[in-house]
Amino acid sequence: MHSVAVTGLGVVAPHGDTPEALFAALLRAESAIHPVFPELPKPAAAATVDFDASRWFTKLQLAGVDRVSQLAVAAADLAMRDAGLEAGAVDPERIGVFAGCGMGGAAALEAAYRGNGRVPPLTIPAFMPNAPASHVAMRQRAQGPVLTYSVACASSSLAIAEAAKAVQRGEVDIAIAGGSEALIVPGVVLAWQAMQTLAGFEPGEAATAVRPFAADRSGFALGEGAAFLVLESAAHARRRGARVHATLAGWGSSCDATHLTKPDAEGQARALRQALKQAGLKPGDVGYCNAHGTATRIGDVVEREALALVWGEQLDGLRVSSTKALHGHLLGAAGALEAVITVMALRERQLPPNAHGASPDPACALNLVREADTQASALEAAISSSFAFGGTNSALLFTR
Amino acid sequence: MSSLKELQDLIQEKYGIPSSELDPQASMREKGLDSLALAEFIFEIEDKFGIEVPDDNPNIDTLAELAALVDKVRAAKVA
Repeated sequence: MHSVAVTGLGVVAPHGDTPEALFAALLRAESAIHPVFPELPKPAAAATVDFDASRWFTKLQLAGVDRVSQLAVAAADLAMRDAGLEAGAVDPERIGVFAGCGMGGAAALEAAYRGNGRVPPLTIPAFMPNAPASHVAMRQRAQGPVLTYSVACASSSLAIAEAAKAVQRGEVDIAIAGGSEALIVPGVVLAWQAMQTLAGFEPGEAATAVRPFAADRSGFALGEGAAFLVLESAAHARRRGARVHATLAGWGSSCDATHLTKPDAEGQARALRQALKQAGLKPGDVGYCNAHGTATRIGDVVEREALALVWGEQLDGLRVSSTKALHGHLLGAAGALEAVITVMALRERQLPPNAHGASPDPACALNLVREADTQASALEAAISSSFAFGGTNSALLFTR
Repeated sequence: MSSLKELQDLIQEKYGIPSSELDPQASMREKGLDSLALAEFIFEIEDKFGIEVPDDNPNIDTLAELAALVDKVRAAKVA
């Protein structure tokens, strides 16, 4: 079996469009969450992307291309450039796209509902959840498998795992793997508010509304963006002299099969154990976990329980943070963005802090990364968790 | 009445293609206005002129043909 190397990173994130800018902002505990849609009855906050579509599209090319696909095209292109892969460098049939997306083109659908009966003719191709993957494929001329994974909050984490399998089996030489989400539109924000999972906040305090693992946590904020990784076998990377950011050493996926939205510690633990087993690592070998950490009342306690089940007495040696406090919850793109952050943590041997956690919750007792203590000079392995509505859990384990 | 100039202006405004680059007698598809983009452009035309372009015109290929069709629909509306 081939070892899977990460040779390209691309993000179009609320904190910027380079992994370096994103990571530096996270280390500074800078929150990108801000108030949105003041016209809504209840205050809303989200982390949005300052995106200049003209860098990737002419006006004509934008016809029928929803923001969710625009962000995907940009992030995938940045990842391919980072990997040093020029057009034509690889046989197109040996390039695959593995893209996660939770919802699809929310803005296109919203415009259709709000058009007073005038529905733009390209609503369907703009909205369909596999449009981002197809647009990435057209832009990068990827003629191998081009697949979309819609598994709620685990979508892009699973997309990366599935891409790694294809690389490992030798089905593709290059996998462009990640995800995109862009659903910060009033209708979708209202729906999430109705679900009672979004953080409440006082006026002027949107930036610190999301407080993972803290006693005063009250949920998450939505985020938008896209992130892609370029995966290839270590041998392929070596042959072409590519820089390797990290190795994707293990992955695990499981389903709770208990409840559609209520998380389950045993189910999550199964995914975490699988990732460790595949990587041939013991819990104590892993120095950092980029947690799912949605800051919901129940979710954080269950995640802590899952980590405790797997790490046991070594739990204190595992440093943990949820960066959703700062970039929001990117849902279908969350796993990919957090995979990039986890790779950056390994590469830089620095850990993004678990922000806004001044009041710890004993029920979520973890070795949380503090803002004044982000160095991790001996870090060799780090794991990123994504747990989805629907009960599917995914874990990605990276090594240096 | 000819809608050609107005359509050229709309194409410039919406897609950034100046009229000098789009020969009214040439295939719009070759300039990147493929069937999807054309469907959206016709939607814009309907909004701009307050008309409804019948959707049974699959053979429209040039801007001149499109302008002739828009002329016809606008004339019918006036009458």
